[in-house]
Amino acid sequence: MTKQMFRIAPGFEEIMPQEYRDLVTHGPYDRNVGVADLGTFKELLEEHPLCAGCGLALSLRLFLASLPAPADTVVVGSTGCSAIAFPQVGLHNIHGLFGNQNAIASGLKRALKLRFPDQPKDVVVVAGDGATADIGLEMVMHSWFRGENIATVMLDNEAYANTGGQESGMSPRGTVLNMAPTGKKFEKVAMPEIAREAGCAYVATTSPLHARRFEKAIRRAILVARDVGSTYVQVFCPCPTNYKFRPDETLSVIRKREKEGVFQYREYITPQAQEYLAAVEGEKQ
Amino acid sequence: MYAAAKVELSRCTGCKLCILACPDPNVICFLADDKKVKVDVTRCKGCGLCVAVCPKAALALEALTESEPART
Repeated sequence: MTKQMFRIAPGFEEIMPQEYRDLVTHGPYDRNVGVADLGTFKELLEEHPLCAGCGLALSLRLFLASLPAPADTVVVGSTGCSAIAFPQVGLHNIHGLFGNQNAIASGLKRALKLRFPDQPKDVVVVAGDGATADIGLEMVMHSWFRGENIATVMLDNEAYANTGGQESGMSPRGTVLNMAPTGKKFEKVAMPEIAREAGCAYVATTSPLHARRFEKAIRRAILVARDVGSTYVQVFCPCPTNYKFRPDETLSVIRKREKEGVFQYREYITPQAQEYLAAVEGEKQ
Repeated sequence: MYAAAKVELSRCTGCKLCILACPDPNVICFLADDKKVKVDVTRCKGCGLCVAVCPKAALALEALTESEPART
């Protein structure tokens, strides 16, 4: 957990891959960069095996650029499409079992608080809709009940996408997928409402279509989680492979859902979190 | 056949919308001196999202030639 570990030991510069050297020389560690600076620094994510046009990959890329303190952040992932990309991420990350990601994050955050009492360490859970809303719902909700200081980010691609396309709790009613031929029989699980009622201090729904808004939601969730309590961000990131649209239509699918009113950007902040954010965001300006 | 995005530099205004739409990291770089973008064709998966968002039609998908093969 020291920033020194990213640096290359003297004499080993030549044998390290170019990508790693780039990360050390112009990566985002200890620099105040955000999504607006993308394209000018070496990103934390490297070439990943996710599909062309993947909305989840775009969200993950924007998420990693939005972190307020990448060198002091630990990401806890879970089984799903995002897990395929995490081995290529230049950040401390842990792969949980399918569903126990928030339990791991809770323990990790408590240990980090004891080990580094003066240095804020951000623990962020990044998992898919299956791990958050279906298989791991119990542990996700209990971490919220306990008010753990962790941020939970759900990358909602509305399906179990890397196992052939099964419906998840987050698929909209009527969705027909490769492995859900008769169509889904019930509505999308109301996760933002569940999060709010379970005691989250900050809840937001966002999408990678509006990068600045996305960055704001992620930053706020991480900052509030440091001092106030649990936070939840739900990211709508459509899947071209399973929902059978062209890879270049990923963003237009989000725009269409926005226009239809099916997908809405929402933000819920408790008065305590609002006060905290006003102080923190005021300091920056 | 591999396809990748190519930039028509004369049309590019450097608005960076393509950078914010690309699902793959480190593919589109911003050249601060010229205020233009550059595509690393060896990393591009050819999804076409950047082409779809470019307001100036400065990007297009083109097949890679033998002199610029995709990374293997």
